[in-house]
Amino acid sequence: MAQEEKIDQIGLLEEEELAAFIDHACELEHPREMVIDVLRAIQKNHGWVPDEGVELTATILGITPIEVEEVATFYDKIFRRQVGRFPIHICDSICCWSNGGEELAEQFQKTLGITFGETTKDGLFTLLPSCCLGVCGQAPAVMIHQKLYGPLQLDDVDELINRLRREASA
Amino acid sequence: MPTLTIDNQQVTVTDGSTVLDAAEQLGIIIPHFCYHKALGPVGSCRMCAVTVHEGTFKGLKMSCLVKAEEGMVVTTDDQQSVEFRARVGEWLMLNHPHDCPVCDEGGECQLQEMTIASGHGIRRYGGKKRTHNNQQLGSFVAQEMNRCIQCYRCVRTYKDYCGGSDFGVMGSRNRVFFGRYKEGPLESDFSGNIIDACPTGVFTDKTYRFKSRYWDLQEAPSVCPHCSLGCATIPGGRYGELQRVRSGVNEKVNGFFICDRGRFGSSYVNHPDRRRQVRSDGQPLTVGDGLSKLDAQARELIEEHGPEAVLLLGSNRASLETNWLLQRWAAELGCRAPLLSAHLQRHQAAQVAAFDLSDRLASLEKVRQSDLVVLFGVDPLAEAPMLAVALRQAARNGALIMVYDPRPIELPCEVDHQPTSPAQLLAMLVSDCEPEIVRIREMLSEAEMPVLVAGGDLLGAEGLLRVKQLAVEQSNEKRPCLIHPILGGPNSFGSAVLSLPEQDDLLTRLESGRTKMLICVETDPLLEAPEGERFGTALSHVDNLVVFDYLPTPLSVHANLFIPSTAPAESAGSFINNEGRQQLFAPVTNPRLPIAETGAGNHPPREFLSTAPGSDPQPAWQLLQQLLGDMGDLETVRQQMATAVPRLVDFTNLQPGGVCCRVTDADERSLYAGDLPEQPEGSLQLVVTPARYGSDLPSRFSAKLTPRFAPAVLQMNPKDAAALKLAAGSKVSLDTEVGSFNLILNCNKDVAAGCALVENGAAFPHLVPGGLPSFCQVSAGVRDD
Ligand code: SF4
Ligand code: SF4
Ligand code: FES
Ligand code: FES
Repeated sequence: MAQEEKIDQIGLLEEEELAAFIDHACELEHPREMVIDVLRAIQKNHGWVPDEGVELTATILGITPIEVEEVATFYDKIFRRQVGRFPIHICDSICCWSNGGEELAEQFQKTLGITFGETTKDGLFTLLPSCCLGVCGQAPAVMIHQKLYGPLQLDDVDELINRLRREASA
Repeated sequence: MPTLTIDNQQVTVTDGSTVLDAAEQLGIIIPHFCYHKALGPVGSCRMCAVTVHEGTFKGLKMSCLVKAEEGMVVTTDDQQSVEFRARVGEWLMLNHPHDCPVCDEGGECQLQEMTIASGHGIRRYGGKKRTHNNQQLGSFVAQEMNRCIQCYRCVRTYKDYCGGSDFGVMGSRNRVFFGRYKEGPLESDFSGNIIDACPTGVFTDKTYRFKSRYWDLQEAPSVCPHCSLGCATIPGGRYGELQRVRSGVNEKVNGFFICDRGRFGSSYVNHPDRRRQVRSDGQPLTVGDGLSKLDAQARELIEEHGPEAVLLLGSNRASLETNWLLQRWAAELGCRAPLLSAHLQRHQAAQVAAFDLSDRLASLEKVRQSDLVVLFGVDPLAEAPMLAVALRQAARNGALIMVYDPRPIELPCEVDHQPTSPAQLLAMLVSDCEPEIVRIREMLSEAEMPVLVAGGDLLGAEGLLRVKQLAVEQSNEKRPCLIHPILGGPNSFGSAVLSLPEQDDLLTRLESGRTKMLICVETDPLLEAPEGERFGTALSHVDNLVVFDYLPTPLSVHANLFIPSTAPAESAGSFINNEGRQQLFAPVTNPRLPIAETGAGNHPPREFLSTAPGSDPQPAWQLLQQLLGDMGDLETVRQQMATAVPRLVDFTNLQPGGVCCRVTDADERSLYAGDLPEQPEGSLQLVVTPARYGSDLPSRFSAKLTPRFAPAVLQMNPKDAAALKLAAGSKVSLDTEVGSFNLILNCNKDVAAGCALVENGAAFPHLVPGGLPSFCQVSAGVRDD
């Protein structure tokens, strides 16, 4: 639909996705409840949520950009800045911490040559601290996209990174 | 009414009170941040901890959340509570930049007070502090985010209470940020309230930045002079300069907040062109000489030409005292009774409010409590901004808000707006079958606390009487149907209360040629009454024009004798607001040339004078007392006035900054305002509305408000524009009974069909709201005059 293409100027959503969101928003009494779904769809396609994504979400749901931004900035799994292709969330909550989480975090930083909040020069990895990932039984754990890894030994880090590098170049 | 014990003292409080309220009643102030009377408790700051020993929930509790119960025993000073609050104080201060010496809030900062009250004094935290980048939020509000303690008061004020949509809270944990999605001026017409609401120095008044420390500021309770609602304000000044205005509290009127017009519209007091000396045909005089000259000339003219020779004109900007003394002086001089308004139609509408509606007036508080509010001919943001916020509170409690008005109404709440032309409005109010009025009647009959809001400007005296009919018909034994009228100025109701029943028109009187001397007190009919041009021409019949004013109006420049009076913030006085509340204001500063002006940024001149430069202006009531040769002070004047006008409230029962009382009811006056004119074929109804900023003269002369002044445009319904083959954005010529004007056309589907809408303000002062219904033509292109 011509009108819908116009509201998504830089192509953050697939055409069908956009149409489905608009349809669904019309059915709901409080379309605002879809904020996370739309943001996640944008993030899946684009890797992160640029300002245009916040504004697009607001347009789809008929709310103001600040109302979207309030939600987008509350959750640390929604990225409002560009991140690497593999954002690595390293758990720093109690079970992981008591099972060597700090050492694991250090190992990641050493291997990648970056600290928390930074992205490797090749644009592949971003390191981010996270609160409990909900897999305390596998502590220490990390999450990359929706996938959880743990328990991780220090030696596992090299292998994991290499695997992801291979995946990226494949 | 539970009775409880707090710190070994018993107190009985009303049902529903919190422990925090109850303690306050005993004079025990429990440290708190997030709790605010208008916003209610949220329990987010954890500062107000107390220990409950007897009660449903025992232990350490947040006193803002716990309701007072019968037999409850609470301590605020036990070790557990004191230590808890000290820790909270310390933790709220973790990231604080300790920049009080350069913070404008310093001295009136709740964070300073509560931190000390909580017992936290020495910082133990040695880690890194969280820091933020600030946003530029426009010319009114400065932001310094590092001082935030996350109490959420700002966002609850801006968004929840006032309905602003461009402000919010972002981030999480200790990084929460209160601001806009992107930098830029705050858009709400109530944005300044976050300055008062924020208990720290995050949001401060940018227009007052680095001007005064709180303890150096002179403040006094006052009444806002910018519209007829009469909100409670607390202006502050120093060194002859009125530096800021903050909100006062009047639970019957504004509650706890005010609008940006009231807050940032005060700099007219310091206008660089303000005349502070008596001038007689260009020559400076002392006040005494000026008054003697005036008195002598007036008496001579009356002796020579009779009682018509001198005409006194009061106004709705002038205080009650001034208008009344004007009447006394006229009686003493032996001239005819003064006109108390240059704007006949507005004055008539005010008289309907002051007499015919006097037994069914609703306060703004009643509007907030109503379950159905129907507005006839009112645009709240233009005519009475805090009404919009009151409507929002009603809507938040489930009320339905219906608006019948030709203008595109914007409100910070859900509203059912039916674009209705002025003629349709007047007709529907007396119709039996018009579907909308049938619907309104049905809904009104089911409502529990209905309020009708009636705009005096658009409805005129006749329309207000028709609204009264509806209210009478919809009242029953169980509950009345009340009216909240909106009038032209801060003391419209007051000058109407004093007015005499016979109608008289300024222009007819002047044009008769019998008036030799016109004395205008705090009014400029060139700008404040319709047909300014006709007034200008009629002035040629007058030999002697005398103006008392505190504004540099065009009329004051033409005056043969100019006598400077004081602004409301520089004098004591009283106004009666739109619902008949007789409210007092106290003097904040003494009139004088601001040091900011004499020193031009440097040290003021090192001359020795016994009086401050520019300190000649006196309150108009005081000038009139001198003309009357009466040495009585304000209290005496007030006593005499209350005796002479029994409707007024005894002044000894009133206090500046108090809730104040309503004047007593009066018999109907049932004015006949003349027949409504017929609409000429092919014409449009002309609708003149006040601009949100700069329509009332004090705000027009306030430099601080200029960022909000809107350009002049003509608005029409797109269908009408299409029928006339006019394109949106094009130049059009508006031909009215008082002249032709070139304007840019804006099309807006929310403008009622058949209407042409213009805003009166700094950019377009030519047409004044509230005149007789009139008609116009709109055509393409520019017309040369
Ligand atoms: S900015 Fe002020 S009002 Fe808002 S949360 Fe921070 S301290 Fe409270
Ligand atoms: S609503 Fe009217 S009286 Fe109240 S602050 Fe605003 S301009 Fe002043
Ligand atoms: S503590 Fe790391 S997953 Fe729960
Ligand atoms: S005032 Fe009670 S928790 Fe903030």
